[in-house]
Amino acid sequence: MTIRNLLATASVAVLLGVSTGAAQAQISIGHLADYSGGTADVGVPFGQAEADAFAWVNKNGGIGGKPVNVDTNDYGYQVPRAIALYKKWSAAGNKVSAILGWGTADTEALKKFVAEDKIPDISGSYSAALTDPTGASGKTEAAPYNFFYGPSYSDALRAELTWAAEDWKAKGKPGKPKYVHMGANHPFPNAPKAAGEALATELGFEVLPPIVFALTPGDYSAQCLTLKSSGANYAYLGNTAGSNISVLNACKAAGVDVQFFGNVWGMDENAAKAAGAAADGVIFPLRTAVAWGANVPGMKTIQEISRVSDPSGTIYRPVHYVAGVCTALYMKEALDWATKNGGATGENVKKAFYQKKDWVPAGLEGVCNPSTWTDKDHRGTLKVDLYRMKVSGDTGASVADLVKNGTIKLEKVKTVDLPRKPEWLGW
Amino acid sequence: MAGQNLLPAGDYRTTYAADTTIFPTTTSRNMMILGIVLICFAPYVLNEYSLSLLIQIGIFSIAALGLNIVVGFTGQISIGHAAFFGFGAFTSAYLSNHHVPVFFCIPLAGVVTALVGLIFGLPAARLKGLYLAIATLAAQFILLDFFSRAEWFTGGSVPAMAEPFSIFGKTVRGDNQYFYVVLAYVIVCYLLVTNLMRTRDGRALIAVRDHYLSAEIMGINLTKYRTLSFGLAAFFAGVGGALYAHYNQVVSNEGFGIDRSIIFLAMIIIGGLGSIMGTLMGTAFVVLLPESMEWLSAALSGSAIDHALGLKTNISFLREMSIGIIIIIFLIFEPDGLAHRWRQIKAYWKLYPFSH
Repeated sequence: MTIRNLLATASVAVLLGVSTGAAQAQISIGHLADYSGGTADVGVPFGQAEADAFAWVNKNGGIGGKPVNVDTNDYGYQVPRAIALYKKWSAAGNKVSAILGWGTADTEALKKFVAEDKIPDISGSYSAALTDPTGASGKTEAAPYNFFYGPSYSDALRAELTWAAEDWKAKGKPGKPKYVHMGANHPFPNAPKAAGEALATELGFEVLPPIVFALTPGDYSAQCLTLKSSGANYAYLGNTAGSNISVLNACKAAGVDVQFFGNVWGMDENAAKAAGAAADGVIFPLRTAVAWGANVPGMKTIQEISRVSDPSGTIYRPVHYVAGVCTALYMKEALDWATKNGGATGENVKKAFYQKKDWVPAGLEGVCNPSTWTDKDHRGTLKVDLYRMKVSGDTGASVADLVKNGTIKLEKVKTVDLPRKPEWLGW
Repeated sequence: MAGQNLLPAGDYRTTYAADTTIFPTTTSRNMMILGIVLICFAPYVLNEYSLSLLIQIGIFSIAALGLNIVVGFTGQISIGHAAFFGFGAFTSAYLSNHHVPVFFCIPLAGVVTALVGLIFGLPAARLKGLYLAIATLAAQFILLDFFSRAEWFTGGSVPAMAEPFSIFGKTVRGDNQYFYVVLAYVIVCYLLVTNLMRTRDGRALIAVRDHYLSAEIMGINLTKYRTLSFGLAAFFAGVGGALYAHYNQVVSNEGFGIDRSIIFLAMIIIGGLGSIMGTLMGTAFVVLLPESMEWLSAALSGSAIDHALGLKTNISFLREMSIGIIIIIFLIFEPDGLAHRWRQIKAYWKLYPFSH
């Protein structure tokens, strides 16, 4: 090849590179998922739901007629890896329109950066520190670009404590009920700790010193013995289902008589199957109006989305999958609005979240709870649906069968409508 | 192993200066300078992703260099290196949040970490081998626990924020500027250690490794040099950690666990124990390995193999497993590290086509 040929080839290659670059007016979003880390037990169904939802969106015309480029990455629940991915997503020239985030530690760490780079982040973290867009609450730094679908960890715990106070009264037991916070020493379980303990004191609980157990399954007999000797009546489990099961099993073996309640990630159908009788009676908040298979119009869409990764359509999807689809489709509609109103920039996507009141994504009626975000308050909803996990009998069969024959049942306990108190914003 | 040179027969050194020179020939020195000049253009040529990998190699290679002083040059063992790396990161973040300019935070973090390293190095005066390994493991757990509890210092379980690097009132923004900060530190640190090994103290460290009894008979204070090696190692870990803190601008207490310590050990073992050049090569290898596995698994996902084995999301585990396998293969077939292989390649071309 002569020099001239070489130069010609090179310039053609450069031209091609430039033209393909220009043709990529496609919307890109980053997707942070935990498939292998400390929260993988619930990260897999949630991440799968988001990936499936966008694959389904792309199959049905994408956004503005173009498929969305979703960059899904398993970051193993490691903050440094999340930051490395974020650097890729915020780099000039490849900036993404939005991020589907995950953990509390990484979302809170990225809070400042997404605000600077103007990239909306709808996270799997429901930390209340992400709900104050202006910083006016004084409880946390401003998080103008953070969103999540569902009640915050703190608000869910406030609802549970409200229920617990009533439950104590209804049972007519004497004295002050004792409340204890349990979880790993990690931003995620710690997120609602202060809020929970403050409200518990206010409601007349005696607050016991917190009990620590790791995010990974293990032997937590020692923690259960502490729990037993402390005489606690109500215990909050701040971790995800996987390690909560270990605690529930160990405490059942130790004969601990405590009413457990968890956060939105603390209990699901798979966990109920794994824990068996030990999971019976655990109270947890459900983010969606219904669970898998319910007879509501929106369930058809969810089941259609589920077929993306399960063409047979036989798999039972836990509550996290349903919530993941809701989360992804809120983002999809925000991207839609932004594309129509000046382009899918981060700023427009953020604005899109403020457009609707009591917003339910199209096609998910009856599934996702109506949410309202404003530029002063990112608490999408303050309505907390509390459910009790009922497990009756052997859980050897598949989750689908167990739910069908009623061995595993999600029993609604109470809907708590928390007041939108300004002093509860941001923590 | 370390001082092995492949100089042609008849090439005698007649002075001590010639014997301890860093670059055996003028060409090798010029090549090094050329290499540094070339890498200065990296931010203009490479994309953000490759640049961030280069920065990571730079940061980790400084910390790995510290570990090589303790393990490769002094013959001690440390499996708590990541904790010192973390300590440097938190110290620098803490200082930068207390109105110390970041420019000074980084060396200061190195000094503070060195002091901590000296304390945790004290057992080395008495312990050897496996016992020392367990003693250094204590550093790992004590410091990690300290990170998660000392809220005034690290923010506890909430990640600490670190100010961006600034110089003469100008803030360094983005990878393509921070690259030069890391590059400068890599050059300075590697020059420092290379020169250290040419001094009396450096030779004393090597003597302790090669035969501590003989070293002691020759008048080398074993306690002093063993402890000193831990201090030095912690210094470079601290500097590396500080650079890491200001690179990410967020320091969480994840990523400084025992797994990271083992990775540091892997870097110097793969690169070559007691080889300064090897440290850099080993770090590059260990940083690039998971990335290349990531490309491989990305290419694999959705392919025929994926469908045949039904891997789906398990593909990410495949990546972690391959890293382990490759390290084992490496240790079996290349026990002297990349530095040794590099010397052999050089020798091959030098003698080509008359290698035997």
